[in-house]
Amino acid sequence: MTPTLLGRWQTRLLLLATIGAFVTSPFALGYLRPEASFSFFWVLGYVAIFGIAWDIVYDYLQKFRWDRDWPGVLQLLAGIWEAAFLAVILKIFHLPGIPQETSLFWFALHYSLVWLSVYISAQVIMRILFLRWRFHGGQWL
Amino acid sequence: MNPDSRQIQLNWVDPTTKEQQKLRLKLPIAIGRELSKMPSTIHGDRVSRLVLESTQVSRFHALILFEQGQLVVTNQSQSGTFINGISVNRGVLNHGDQLQMGNYAIAVTFVASSLETDSVISFHPDTDLPEPEVQRKTVTATSDFPPAIFQSQQISVRDLYATNLPVYQIDYVAIGAGLGSFIWVDFLRIFGVKVRQIVAIGLEKQPYARYQRLCLNSQIPLHERLRSNSDSCPDNIWGWPSYAIREAWRDFYKGKINSALQYLWQVFAEPTLAETYTPRAGNVFDSIDREAKRIGWHQIFRYGRVRAIRKTDDERYAIAYSCSSSNHRDRAIVLARYVHLATGYPAIQFLPDLQKYREKTQDFKSVVNAYEQHEHVYKHLERYGGTVLIRGRGIVASRIVQRIYEVRQRNRNIFVLHLMRSPKSQGNKFDAAQRQVENHYEFQPFNWPKACWGGELRAILENASPQQRQQFLKDWGGTTTAARSDWRRIVQEGISQGWYQITFGEVERVEREQQNTITYIKGKDLQGQIKLQADFIIDATGLEAKAKSNPLLDDLVTHYNLPLNHLGRLAVAHDFEITEMRSGKGRMYAAGAITLGGPYAAVDSFLGLQYAALRSADSLAAVRAPGMHRLNCFCSFSQWCKWITNQSPV
Ligand SMILES: Cc1cc2nc3c(=O)[nH]c(=O)nc-3n(C[C@H](O)[C@H](O)[C@H](O)COP(=O)(O)OP(=O)(O)OC[C@H]3O[C@@H](n4cnc5c(N)ncnc54)[C@H](O)[C@@H]3O)c2cc1C
Repeated sequence: MTPTLLGRWQTRLLLLATIGAFVTSPFALGYLRPEASFSFFWVLGYVAIFGIAWDIVYDYLQKFRWDRDWPGVLQLLAGIWEAAFLAVILKIFHLPGIPQETSLFWFALHYSLVWLSVYISAQVIMRILFLRWRFHGGQWL
Repeated sequence: MNPDSRQIQLNWVDPTTKEQQKLRLKLPIAIGRELSKMPSTIHGDRVSRLVLESTQVSRFHALILFEQGQLVVTNQSQSGTFINGISVNRGVLNHGDQLQMGNYAIAVTFVASSLETDSVISFHPDTDLPEPEVQRKTVTATSDFPPAIFQSQQISVRDLYATNLPVYQIDYVAIGAGLGSFIWVDFLRIFGVKVRQIVAIGLEKQPYARYQRLCLNSQIPLHERLRSNSDSCPDNIWGWPSYAIREAWRDFYKGKINSALQYLWQVFAEPTLAETYTPRAGNVFDSIDREAKRIGWHQIFRYGRVRAIRKTDDERYAIAYSCSSSNHRDRAIVLARYVHLATGYPAIQFLPDLQKYREKTQDFKSVVNAYEQHEHVYKHLERYGGTVLIRGRGIVASRIVQRIYEVRQRNRNIFVLHLMRSPKSQGNKFDAAQRQVENHYEFQPFNWPKACWGGELRAILENASPQQRQQFLKDWGGTTTAARSDWRRIVQEGISQGWYQITFGEVERVEREQQNTITYIKGKDLQGQIKLQADFIIDATGLEAKAKSNPLLDDLVTHYNLPLNHLGRLAVAHDFEITEMRSGKGRMYAAGAITLGGPYAAVDSFLGLQYAALRSADSLAAVRAPGMHRLNCFCSFSQWCKWITNQSPV
C-alpha cells in the first residue's frame, strides 16, 4: 500500500467504525464472555483517536522509504506497537470508559481480531467497493 | 584538443527519458540547476550555461574553464563533482573523462563526434514486427488515402459520404487495440457501454500481441516473471484477487502449500523483508484472454491501421483507416464522438553507433537490439561459445545476462562484456530516501517509485508545474533493474569466475574485422584507445516514444498544432484528455508511453493504463456519454460479482 496521510485517516476511521464495530459487538454484548462490557467500544475509540496521531508519525517515517510505501509487515508492527502503547496507558493511567482491571487477554484477543479484520477489509472490501481508493492513497471520500 | 576552438562536446543519457543528449558548448561552461545562479560572464568571456533539471544538481554546481592549455573543473556544490568517480574540488579534465554531478554522468569529448542522426527501429506498418530497414517516411506517403478532404481542419460529414468510402458510425473508438485500448474498453464495458457501441482498431486481435512479442524478444518467456505488481491486473479493474492470490490459490490446490504461502508472504512483506512478488507472463496473458472473452473484445476488435483523424462539423471525429490485406485494398472511415489513442511505443531506440555499423556492413546478425528477435545469438553461443557485448544496464540487460547464464550451463565457453557509459556508485536521491546500487546496477522494484501509481508521489506530480514535473521525473526515473536475488547472484558469480566483466567507456565507433565486431572506446587521453572484441553486440538501452516518430501522431500533431510536453510526448490534462482536440461534445483521450512527461509518471504500465482509463471513464460519465454510468459502491460491487462469476458486464 502507498497511503497518504489523508488516506490513512479516512480508511482507519471508516473501517474502525464499520468492520471494527461489527467485530467489537459480540465482545461488548457479552456473547463471547460471561459479562457484557461497553469498554470494548471505548478501546475501539482510543485506537481511532490515538491512531490519528500515530498516522502522522507513520506518514513521516514513510518519507524515508524510496517507494513511499507501507507494506503489510509495517502495518503489523504498527498495530503491535499501538496495542502495546494502549495497554500500558490503560494499566498505568486511567482511561475514561475502561476499568483499570481489564483483562489483558481479552484486550489482546479483541484488539487482534479488530486489527486482522480491518487489515483484510482494506485489502479486499475497500478495493471492491471504492474503485478509486487505491489510486488516491487510501482516500475514499 | 585544439585550444582555438575552445569547444567541448558533452554527451549524457537523460536520467528520465534515457535518451541520449548531446551538446557542444563553448568554454567557459557553468553547469547547474538554475540559470540565474550561474555567472553569465567570467573575465569578460561569455559563459555557456547548462541547466540540468534535477534536485540532485545544485543551483550552480560546477565551472569548466580553459586555463594554461588545460581544461579545469571547479566544484561549486556541497554534493560534489566527480571526475571518473573521484571527487574533485579542482581537477583537470581530459578527453574521454566522465564528469558526474548528482544523477548525471556526462562524457566529455574534445573532438567532434560524427554521430548526429536520430536512430530508431520502426515497427513494420503491416506486420508490426520491429523492422530495422523500413523507412518511416514510406508509411505516410500515400496517394489517394486518406481522401483530400482530410487536408482541412474540420471535415463536413456530407463531404465524407461523398467520397464513396464506407463510413461507419459508432460511439466509441479505441485506436491501437493493444493493452491500453483493451483496458480502456474494459472500463467502458464495466461502466455500462454495450459491445455494439465500441470499436477497437488495430493490427492484431490479441490485445497483448505486440507486448508479448517484445517480452519474448527481450527474454521474458511465458514462465518468467514480469516487472509488475501483484495487484496490477490488466484483466481486473479492482486489482483483487491479485495475481499473487490467484497463483497461491492454484498452487494450494495442486498441493504446493509452500510456494502458495511464499507468494502470500511476499505480498505481505515486500519489498522490505521479502523479494517483490511479480506475476508470470503466461498467467497474465491467460487472464487477459478470459477478460477479453467476458467483455466481448473479439466483436469489438476491427483489423486496420489508422491513418488520420480529423474533427468533423457535427462534433465528432472522422477516423480514416486502411485494412488492406495481401490480396485486396480496403479503406474505410469511422465516425465517433469519443476517441481513445493508445498506440504504444512509436519505435525502438537504437544506439547511433550500432545503427551506423549496420548501415555500413549490412550485418544484422551480430549486432542486434534486445527488442528484436535475436534467438540466433543464443543458439550460436550454445553451439560454438563466444563473447557477447551488452550495452545498457536496465532490466532488459539483466534478463539477457540471465539468459546467457542459462545457456552457459551447457557451454562454459561464453563470456560477457557489459559496457556501461560510466561507473555508478550512488543511487538517485529524493528527499530523505536513496536508491540502492550494487555492481553499478541501480535497483528499484518497478520503473518508478511505487507511490507514483497511487500514493503521495502521484498527487505531488499531478499538482506540480511543468518545470517541477521535469525535475521529479528525473529524480524518480532513470535506468534501473529489479533487485532479484537470482540476478544479483549471477552477476556476483560471473564477476568472481571471470566470465562476466563490466567495462566503462564512451563508444567511438563499431567496426567489423574478420568474424568479429570491434567496439572502439575513447581512451582517457588522445593516445589511449580501448578495443573490445565480441561475436555479438546486444543493445539493451531501451524503447523510444517521441510522439513524432509515429506517423499517425505526427500527422495529428502537425495538422492541429498540438502542444507537446518537455519529453516530446502528447500534452494531456489530468483526465488524459488531449484538450486541444476537443470537438464540441467530442472528446479525445490518450494513454501509454505517448503521454509520459505529463501529470502522471507511470503511464506505461498496466496499473498506469488502468489509472488513465479510470480518469477518462469518470470524465465521460460526468459528461453523460452514451451508456456510461459512474461506478458507485453498489455498481462496483455488483460488477465485481460479475467478474468473479465470469459473466458479461452488461
Ligand atoms: C518488454 C516489456 C515488458 C513490460 N513489462 C511490463 C510489466 O511487467 N508490467 C507493466 O505494468 N508494464 C510493463 N510494460 C509496459 C507496458 O505495460 C506495455 O508496454 C503495454 O503493452 C503498453 O500498452 P500500450 O497500449 O501503450 O501499447 P501496446 O500494447 O504496444 O499497443 C499499441 C498498439 O497500437 C498499435 N498501433 C500503433 N499505431 C497504430 C495505428 N496507426 N493504427 C492501428 N494500430 C496502431 C500497435 O500495433 C500496437 O499493437 C512492459 C513493456 C515492455 C516493452
